[in-house]
Amino acid sequence: MRYYARKLGFYLVALWAALTLNFFIPRMMPGNPVDTLLAKLQQRGGSVGPDVRESYELMLGTDTGDALWNQYFSYLGNMFRGDLGVSVSVFPEEVTTVISQSLPWTIVLVGIATFLSFLVGVVLGMVVGWKRGTWLDSLIPATTVLSAVPYFWLALIFVMIFSTSLAWFPLNGGYDVALATGWNWEFINSAIYHGFLPALTIVVSSVGGWLLGMRNMMVSTMSEDYILTAQAKGLRNRRIMTRYAARNAVLPSVAGFAISLGFVVSGSIITEQVFSYPGIGGKLLQAVENSDYALMQGIFLIITVAVLAANLVVDLLYGFIDPRTRVEN
Amino acid sequence: MTALEVRDLVKDYPIRSGLRSSRLRAVDHVSFTLTPGRTVALVGESGSGKSTVAKMIARLEKPTGGAIVATKDDGRPVGDREYRDHVQMVFQDPFASLNPFHTIEHHLARPLRLHGRTKGRTDTRRQVEQLLERVNLTPAHAIAPRRPHELSGGQRQRVAIARALAPGAQVVVADEPVSMLDVSIRLGVLNLLARLQREDRLAVLYITHDLATARHFSDEILVMYRGHVVERGPADDVILTPQHSYTKLLAAAAPNPEERGRSLAEGVGAIDEADLTRMFDHHTKSWHPFEKAAPIAAALANPAGGKQ
Amino acid sequence: MTNLSPLTGSADESAAAAAPVKSASAPPSRGRSGMRALLPSWSPKLVIGLVLVLGITLFAIIGPWLVGDPDAIDSIGMTEPSGEYWLGTTQTGQDVFAQLAHAVRGSLLVGLVVGILATILSALFGIIGGYVGGAVDEGFSLLSNVMLVIPGLPLVIVIAGFVPPQDRGWWTVALVLAITGWAAAARVLRAQTLSLRNRDYVAAARVAGEKRWRIVSVEILPNLLPLLASQFVFAVIAAILAEAGLSFLGLGAANSHTLGTMLYYAQNGFALQYEAWWWFGPPGLMIALFGCGLSLINFSIDEIINPKLRVPKPVAAKGGTPPPVAPPAPVTGAAAQAPPAPARAADGRDVVLSVRDLNVIYQTENPVHAVKDVSITLGRGEILGLAGESGCGKTTLAYAVNRLHRPPAEVASGSVIFHDRDGGDIDLLALDAEELRQFRWAKLSMVFQGAMNSLNPVISIHEQLDDVLTTHKPDMSKQARRERCEEVLRLVRVDPTRLDSFPHELSGGMRQRVMIAMAMLLDPQVMIMDEPTTALDVVVQRGILREIIRLRDELGFAVVFITHDLPMLLELSDRIAVMRAGEVVEYAPAEQIYERPEHPYTRQLLGSFPSLTGERGAFIRTGESSPLTKNEGAPR
Repeated sequence: MRYYARKLGFYLVALWAALTLNFFIPRMMPGNPVDTLLAKLQQRGGSVGPDVRESYELMLGTDTGDALWNQYFSYLGNMFRGDLGVSVSVFPEEVTTVISQSLPWTIVLVGIATFLSFLVGVVLGMVVGWKRGTWLDSLIPATTVLSAVPYFWLALIFVMIFSTSLAWFPLNGGYDVALATGWNWEFINSAIYHGFLPALTIVVSSVGGWLLGMRNMMVSTMSEDYILTAQAKGLRNRRIMTRYAARNAVLPSVAGFAISLGFVVSGSIITEQVFSYPGIGGKLLQAVENSDYALMQGIFLIITVAVLAANLVVDLLYGFIDPRTRVEN
Repeated sequence: MTALEVRDLVKDYPIRSGLRSSRLRAVDHVSFTLTPGRTVALVGESGSGKSTVAKMIARLEKPTGGAIVATKDDGRPVGDREYRDHVQMVFQDPFASLNPFHTIEHHLARPLRLHGRTKGRTDTRRQVEQLLERVNLTPAHAIAPRRPHELSGGQRQRVAIARALAPGAQVVVADEPVSMLDVSIRLGVLNLLARLQREDRLAVLYITHDLATARHFSDEILVMYRGHVVERGPADDVILTPQHSYTKLLAAAAPNPEERGRSLAEGVGAIDEADLTRMFDHHTKSWHPFEKAAPIAAALANPAGGKQ
Repeated sequence: MTNLSPLTGSADESAAAAAPVKSASAPPSRGRSGMRALLPSWSPKLVIGLVLVLGITLFAIIGPWLVGDPDAIDSIGMTEPSGEYWLGTTQTGQDVFAQLAHAVRGSLLVGLVVGILATILSALFGIIGGYVGGAVDEGFSLLSNVMLVIPGLPLVIVIAGFVPPQDRGWWTVALVLAITGWAAAARVLRAQTLSLRNRDYVAAARVAGEKRWRIVSVEILPNLLPLLASQFVFAVIAAILAEAGLSFLGLGAANSHTLGTMLYYAQNGFALQYEAWWWFGPPGLMIALFGCGLSLINFSIDEIINPKLRVPKPVAAKGGTPPPVAPPAPVTGAAAQAPPAPARAADGRDVVLSVRDLNVIYQTENPVHAVKDVSITLGRGEILGLAGESGCGKTTLAYAVNRLHRPPAEVASGSVIFHDRDGGDIDLLALDAEELRQFRWAKLSMVFQGAMNSLNPVISIHEQLDDVLTTHKPDMSKQARRERCEEVLRLVRVDPTRLDSFPHELSGGMRQRVMIAMAMLLDPQVMIMDEPTTALDVVVQRGILREIIRLRDELGFAVVFITHDLPMLLELSDRIAVMRAGEVVEYAPAEQIYERPEHPYTRQLLGSFPSLTGERGAFIRTGESSPLTKNEGAPR
């Protein structure tokens, strides 16, 4: 229980740190974002009531005369109520609405792609590590090229080959715009069709990292005494590889999931841009281009929360697969 | 004359489990004195607290209670600043106690310089070679520039002993100095330590789990069990006529070719209930209750294994 | 390993005087200097990596001086690569090659600066936190863990979004990337520092009276250098990628030329739609090649940090044999001529295992003859002691019997015959992989030295016992298997309720009991025990030895007991083989070894164990003129 309590506590601290960062960044930057924002808002024909202004000020910080502490607590209050303000670029939508429209696209795309690349990387890493000293070793340098390729460049190459030249896949977008959004087969089919290349990009560029990490741990694990014991026990090789070697070797990959997830998410944001994918990465850039600070911060918060949640799930899973974490020391 | 006195030494380690925190008493009111030219052996199994005593004397751990007082030849106490000159330590694992990055010369020259015992580069080099020769590592000029991985275990432990001598220490704490070495070279290293002790009139604290070398190598033996000294006295008395049931247990467990076939068939024995609260002193030939210390926990007392 | 060199018994006395310093009398090798010892050894990977990295770096340094103005606009528009424009031109007729030269310089500079900054930050937080410990460490590691889970690029984008483009200086971008990129390295460095801090040589430096800063900088830091180098390389790759991403989004530093900005202009100039591969291809390729080169260098550094990763050099060129099964050894003429294994051993027991003239060689650059012409017979129900010091080949012998040795070890010649209880001899060296698998544990089981390491830490005791039964006895019902597991635990006096425990929940003595229980699961005829009690306290050790004797008496299996502890073997075993430098130097009943040892080495070993209750040996505390300091000379 202690393990789970500690993990939960840590992610609460991390969440608080992200919220606080979000509060202070605009206050440390030059210029007066609120005025810029409100000017834009008025351009778009929005009427600016005092409550809207106050909400922006809390988020972005101006010399309202209010003490910083009070601003901070009101800001935290707003966050917990889910009030992230009104978007400028997609006026008059609420920021939360904009996010809730684009978030599922990203979560499904990045989630499935990450899961697949983890799975493929770990399984390949297991085999390559187990067969060390064979021709499979020559695969290792190849994976480093893949992981050194920028996500978006790979995306560009894929688009050129598969979309422009071969025309197997659409150039951009998340679904066929002629179709109505909804849970019908036709739409889902189109979404899968459109999502294939972006997902492939993410999988191909991130699989190398998992593979290499798993392979190295496999090699280290194979010199452990319990592998020797398993061989002496006359177990079949497949069983030794999976239950004895891989079962232990995968632990650091799972424990280090947080580090890798950050990279994958960062890469996906840019990938979305290449494919004009209707996800949250594209929205973030749109917000930056339009100085839509409210949306920008909202998206940063949501991405952070999503990453924290994913890590929390993985950490809880880790507690499940490694019995040693469950004991009190 | 005393070189080092340990009085009522106590060490507690905090254990955190959940929100509760408790203490584990690793060393419970241990007292003894080290005198120049004599060796005291601290004997016990893992977890008995013997290494913790060593670490406290070497000032690697802070005692929770009690006092460690070092005294100079002229009877004056050793100050904090001079303590490191006076008390040195030889570690158990010679493969871990030498820094793989540095040469043998570095390991010996640093303590010489730190304690202001050399003047200039040539003097340092000369003294390093002298130290190496004292521990029978010759030719010294060939050994000095090497790195630890180029030496065998026995050679490394000799370097470690030379390092302890470098600051001119009067008290040497040897924590299982031969247990990691191959059996055929152990006695050689112990004999070296014994020779240096005679030559420099060192006060040696020999920490070991091996009753036989404790008996042959030391003058006085203290048997430790779960933080307590349970039996003490002249080496032969403690080993040949053990009184405390734990010492008897240890002595019975040591391999004994003379008793071939018989001793293994017998039970390992157990610790008497009465012995959980007392210590036998061979000097006074009497039992002493643990006055200030807590009794040994009965639940943990019998280590015989099996029915745990 | 040098104590495997042949040493004849008769040379003992004369060699004794010179032996301790034998290796020292060689010309003084100044040894590899501290720095050189940390350098990676040459390998194709390293060479390719260095060529890539140095080549691209050189291009970045010299290139910009050799090319024209990258911004010069030409009316020729977008053209394919040609003699004049090596990489063609952009939409506005700019020379792509010139742009590439400047962009590589810009990207590398960002990578270098961010790499240095991030490494300094991670060293500061990781090493200091790890060494100081306590509240400082708690604080630092919380900070780095929080920085790690907050996704970096979105944060950088947000920060960039608040800074107007004209204010986005080159240094601002570098600083922001460094601040968001140090955490992972700090975590790695902290873990390593924690481990180094507890090394004995750090304790020794403290005892010597070294100051804290000196311990960190002189004792700890040098040993962290490979790790720091690897983290630096990683930080450079990450920084180049992150900057490229940022610039590609149009959020990079103002007026900068990097590979990312090139791609940004390519994307916005519809290079993709026009299939102008020469425009957007080279910048990405540059990043990929540079990153790949750095990763290849990192491989070599990783192999210094973790020696297990080194691929053993296949000297014998036998092709890659996966470790589990060693190739069957060719039986040479010598073995074929050996007399047939006797049905009865010297003391009248039936023979269960006979080893004839076995030779095992480590096929490395300097082949090591680890087991030399060893012949041993094991009687049914006998306890055979195998005594010797580290490196004498006793463990290699035991593994070779069951063919558990791994390359580069090879059985060069000899035979190992198992005489089955049901009649019939099994030539162990001739079994194919599947037959060998079925033979193992069913007829011959093993107990290894470290019980903690012999048990798989993440699955329960029950599963590990059960694995043996499901593999070897597929017909057994689940219920029957469970009962058998409980039965063997009871045999070694461990409470059967412990079945569902994990290894870390048991004490050292209990784990070794579990291992012995596991070894008995299939009622084997031979059990090989490799130092089964060495790591245990004497009292616990005693208990386990008693169990072994009792079970042998009850179940009648034969035991090969390997240890350096000769007195223990004298008490325990029926016969003893004393091994030294790969050879059995004396092989006789235990009483005989104790009372009338013949070989000088046996006598020396016996003399190394002072008697507990006997007279004080003459060698102890009388000075050093003893022959016992002997073969300590050679480094291992």
